[in-house]
Amino acid sequence: MIAQLPGLEWWSQMVQPLLERGVRSLMPEAWQHYAFMHRAIIECILIAPMCAAMGVKVVNFRMAFFSDAISHSAFAGVAFGFLLHDAITRFSFDPRIAMVIFGVMVGLGIAMVRRRTDLSNDTVIGVFFSTVVAIGIAIITAFPKHSAEFPKYLYGSILTLDDADLYVSALLAVGMLVFMLLSFNPLMLIGLNSELAHSRRIRVRLYDYLFAMLLALVIMTLIRTAGILLVTAMLVVPAAAARNLARSVSGMFWWATLIALISSVAGTLVSFSDALSYVGTGAVIVLAAAVIFAVSLLAKEG
Amino acid sequence: MTSTARIPKDGYALRLRNVSVTLGGVQILSNVTAQPAVGALNAIIGPNGAGKTTLLRAILGLVPYTGTIQIGQTVEGEPLRLGYVPQRLDFDRGMPISVLDFMCAGLQRRPVWLGHSRTARSVAAKYLAQVGGSGWEHKSLGRLSGGELQRVLLAMALSHEPDILLLDEPVSGVDVAGEELFCDLLGSLQQEGRYTMLLVSHDLSIVTQHAQYVICLNQTVQCQGDAVTTLTAENLRALYRQDVSLYEHTGTHEGHAHKHHHGTGGQGHTGHGCPGPHSH
Repeated sequence: MIAQLPGLEWWSQMVQPLLERGVRSLMPEAWQHYAFMHRAIIECILIAPMCAAMGVKVVNFRMAFFSDAISHSAFAGVAFGFLLHDAITRFSFDPRIAMVIFGVMVGLGIAMVRRRTDLSNDTVIGVFFSTVVAIGIAIITAFPKHSAEFPKYLYGSILTLDDADLYVSALLAVGMLVFMLLSFNPLMLIGLNSELAHSRRIRVRLYDYLFAMLLALVIMTLIRTAGILLVTAMLVVPAAAARNLARSVSGMFWWATLIALISSVAGTLVSFSDALSYVGTGAVIVLAAAVIFAVSLLAKEG
Repeated sequence: MTSTARIPKDGYALRLRNVSVTLGGVQILSNVTAQPAVGALNAIIGPNGAGKTTLLRAILGLVPYTGTIQIGQTVEGEPLRLGYVPQRLDFDRGMPISVLDFMCAGLQRRPVWLGHSRTARSVAAKYLAQVGGSGWEHKSLGRLSGGELQRVLLAMALSHEPDILLLDEPVSGVDVAGEELFCDLLGSLQQEGRYTMLLVSHDLSIVTQHAQYVICLNQTVQCQGDAVTTLTAENLRALYRQDVSLYEHTGTHEGHAHKHHHGTGGQGHTGHGCPGPHSH
């Protein structure tokens, strides 16, 4: 189904080869022929600004737990996906489609319940978090047929991306760019004081839902790289390091982009070295970001 | 100063008729009917839990209500603009956001991560100057004192060029000096006559000093009218009931012929506020 995305052919014949050639020209001789690695680097370039844009919001407005709940919903989403995959015989259903839809529903669901009750954010998110994880575990234990495939989702695998994966990332990156051009300022005002935003005729509810939806889409995309367990780190750690280095909103955004890019590229390359070739790439990327965070702390103190 | 107020087409800036609010089964406001004076400082006073903030929230359209709230129109038929100064900004103080980032987020379409537009920058500078905050552009929002932040919030509201300015306890949690400064600002805005202001305040000293119209609220409107005739000991005693001794101490203050109710103890304030009397 993903293989039938409109524009995919154009992407894999025209755009991606160009990008791959660019990346290859920067690689040392020994790594010239590892196309999967070049694709991984392209993915890093595509996701870095997304991590930064979403991460800045997540860090400044304390939404790490929200992001965690959405990422863990992927667990249940994929489990549902495999059930559908087995049930649908007419074509091969990609379980990731169910994962994305489920993730968006959970994001919107949390946003909706939060608006309608006076429970604290943490409580609402906690209820959703445990429910979706329980659903995932229930399905997997009842139908263990595909349980061998779950580590891929838990830990991520940036080295096994295909053209369609990259194309989806590129589409989302463009969508995110447009969204961040049009709605960065309103979202910031909403985060600071939603009544103030409302008084300036900003449609608070619309932006709340749009943001929840986009955050879910970004998280679902990042799961392929970092896995369910570490997705939130991809958003939080670069932005947290950037916060230590920046004094203004734009400074924080650009630092976060740079740090996300450096840590994901460095993590990918390092995990490819002989010594670390059995270590999960997602983990190395997050560790690289954590090192940068530690340095940023020192820079802040000093 | 001459009045530059946009005169509303039908002679009112804001008109409330039988406004009632029930939240979670509790009636907060019932049948509030009021018409604040155009181009003046209107004070909403009343004890804790009287529904003052809820009334502002209803006007902003943030809580469901019954009855009607009409926002006036300009001569051209456009609705008057609302400006809102919240009680506080509940944000992460360590967040890297400058005063200019904050102001520009409301003044320009361009996302602030791509920089500040020249127009937004000059508008921000103009209103910061008006609140005595010239040169604050690159200060971090989280490092401002309570009083400074409140003045930035006022500048932010003014930069939206509102006709109606809603202020919710703007000086709660502000130190004495900051409170006096803010109070002076309100006085000069009031004299400018450009804004129809609605001020919710515990601080009766601000109210007696600058308000021209007073709405006494305790779930419903207990009394309203121009400040001199409304702020009587009798009305205040009725409004605050047993708390009255904390609010009222009558005395003759220089420059005021009427009784001057000063001090707002009992709600975390001591009796400070506006410095000396202003000439009206």
